[in-house]
Amino acid sequence: MDISLLLTSTLTLAGGIPLTLLLTFASLLAGLVLAVPLAFMRASSCKWLSLPVLAYTYVLRGTPLLVQLFIIYYGLGQISAIRSSVLWVLLRDPFWCCLLAFSLNGAAYTTEIFRGGIQAVSNGMIEAAQAVGMSPLQIKRRIIFPIAFRSVLPSYANEVISLVKATSLASTVTLLEITGLSRKLVSETFAPYEIFIAAGVLYLGLTFLLTGFFHLLETRLNGAPRAEARPHRVDLQQVAHE
Amino acid sequence: MDGFAVQFVSGLKTTVLLALVSGVLGMALGLLAAAGRLSRWRAVSLLVGFYTTIIRGVPELIIILLIYFGGTVAISAFFGRYVEVNAFLAGVVSLTVVFGAYAAEIFRGAVLSIPAGQIEAARSLGLHPWQTWLLVILPQMLRIALPALANQSISLVKETSLISIVGLTDIMRVAAIGAGSLRAPLTFYLAASALYLALTSLALLIFNRLERHFAVPGR
Amino acid sequence: MPGAPKVQQIPMHGIRAERIEKRLGGNDVLRGMDIDVRPGEILSILGSSGSGKSTLLRCLNLLTIPDRGDIWIHGEKLAIRAASQHGGPAAILDQRQVRKARASVGMVFQSFNLWPHKTALENVTEGPVLIKGLRRNAAADLGHHYLAKVGLSGKADSYPHHLSGGQQQRVAIARALAMEPRVLLFDEPTSALDPELVGEVLRVMAALAGEGRTMVIVTHEMAFAREVSTRAAFMHRGLIEEESPPRQFFFSPVSSRLRGFLASHR
Repeated sequence: MDISLLLTSTLTLAGGIPLTLLLTFASLLAGLVLAVPLAFMRASSCKWLSLPVLAYTYVLRGTPLLVQLFIIYYGLGQISAIRSSVLWVLLRDPFWCCLLAFSLNGAAYTTEIFRGGIQAVSNGMIEAAQAVGMSPLQIKRRIIFPIAFRSVLPSYANEVISLVKATSLASTVTLLEITGLSRKLVSETFAPYEIFIAAGVLYLGLTFLLTGFFHLLETRLNGAPRAEARPHRVDLQQVAHE
Repeated sequence: MDGFAVQFVSGLKTTVLLALVSGVLGMALGLLAAAGRLSRWRAVSLLVGFYTTIIRGVPELIIILLIYFGGTVAISAFFGRYVEVNAFLAGVVSLTVVFGAYAAEIFRGAVLSIPAGQIEAARSLGLHPWQTWLLVILPQMLRIALPALANQSISLVKETSLISIVGLTDIMRVAAIGAGSLRAPLTFYLAASALYLALTSLALLIFNRLERHFAVPGR
Repeated sequence: MPGAPKVQQIPMHGIRAERIEKRLGGNDVLRGMDIDVRPGEILSILGSSGSGKSTLLRCLNLLTIPDRGDIWIHGEKLAIRAASQHGGPAAILDQRQVRKARASVGMVFQSFNLWPHKTALENVTEGPVLIKGLRRNAAADLGHHYLAKVGLSGKADSYPHHLSGGQQQRVAIARALAMEPRVLLFDEPTSALDPELVGEVLRVMAALAGEGRTMVIVTHEMAFAREVSTRAAFMHRGLIEEESPPRQFFFSPVSSRLRGFLASHR
């Protein structure tokens, strides 16, 4: 093991952090925007609303993200209608393809997480809101979603962390984020240990920072630390993407 | 696409075999690691803690690349000439290491959720510590861990697709080859996703059966 | 006059419900009962569990939609579609009207139902801000006023899980009061409380009764009902069995069932 190579490659690979973070947060935001309405549809007792969403989440959670990414990046070009449309400007660009794949995939997981939280909100909270005269939309916005979000925060934190890790797949469609840079560097120097370990250290740093952030958020959102300590704290749990 | 049916079948076999072997080995590693994490020896517990934290904080792809290319470098150095590591073997090792880390945390959580009273009850019946583990803790732990293990196994099936990146001819690789040679990427990748969806659905079905089989009435 | 109610005069204030029927889980919980809540009246509803008293209360602000029957709130008849013979559920026809009606009828629940992600003050101000469009500081002043009224000035910034059951229920009362409703509904407000916490809630309720507010109280607290109510009703199997001023209700009941009920709750 060449320690100086480890250090210099860590510095080189750090150049990929902005792209990794951009991919993570952009798909996180897009996934969230998609997931909130989908989760309410999925939690609805109306089958016409919940079943299509279930089909979406089932398929996206049941197939590898790599396949989804390749369908978007390589596959969509097979359809000539898409090639001749305005969208092609975006869909031929690996960055936008990654963003689309990660957002759609993340939205599927996030939808199911939020659905669990929404369905766990006790009926009494909703009735109390109805009793003061709130509209269904006000109840969703002010009561159900905030309560649901707090209760699923640990799972959502895990989802965010698996999204960070999932962005490494961007390297398979030529993007030079942390993993892409490290693969390029390895093919030039053929020193896989130092370089991939350096990449691992960077990812570990990112996931630790995010874990810490969610710990803080959880404490803040719950007003002071909870009287009854919750058994499931934010943790680097499962819910892997790949 | 007809000519590719045979190749898809062989790719499917490779994917299934890879998932099964890594799943079984990973489960064993997870059990061992969970025992280590819960052991009284602080050093062992700490070491296992490092292992699970690091593996779960790093992308699977990085672990796969490290093991594949790192393994190649190590073996080449050993033989004094360039030897490429078998992609299937690298896949088994990396997926086992990953699955083991998640399984360890699942098992640990399951053990910790068993009420201490049961262990005391077993002791008071005069059961030997290893009898307590084998007869009281293990069966319950497996039942509690089952839903999370199901999730993890489905993730494992999907993660096998990453091994195609280092050249394993699994479903994903067959699709990529077909997509390139017939210039029909959409068709081939959709076919691949259908196969993966079938596999993950099957895994889900099996785990649902198991859960129902081991369910305790009234809980 | 088409569609005119049978009763001559619908009061401009208070609540009237006629021929209310409700079937829940295969049981006829309410069997065509009438009830009239006049302004300034404090009506206690008693009865053994399963008699339908909570369902009746929930029908009055349509948290439960009656299968059949008419409800007037402050003189306005609520637009409800009755349940069909083939099992189609009853439905609210005019959501806006019902929301307006609910805003004028406060409700206090057995299990408090405070919103856990909001402080005591935020629980109280949420309705006035969202429904009445009050500005934040005006709402905060209002909130502090009503928290003081229930004796919880010091707890404005506490979250519900840091409050005792009695304190939570008092915040819930303040939350209902902050909407400045014309009628207050109480659904067994002390049933979920530890015995030593019941008193503080009853004292707040008695003070409200002393202000001449219109209140409907479903309760098991006999002494409280006897002291505070202007009228008491005894429900049995989805109907009102007996209804009278408290003196007569508690000391010379007519119905033998009510006599038995009173004897067993002494």
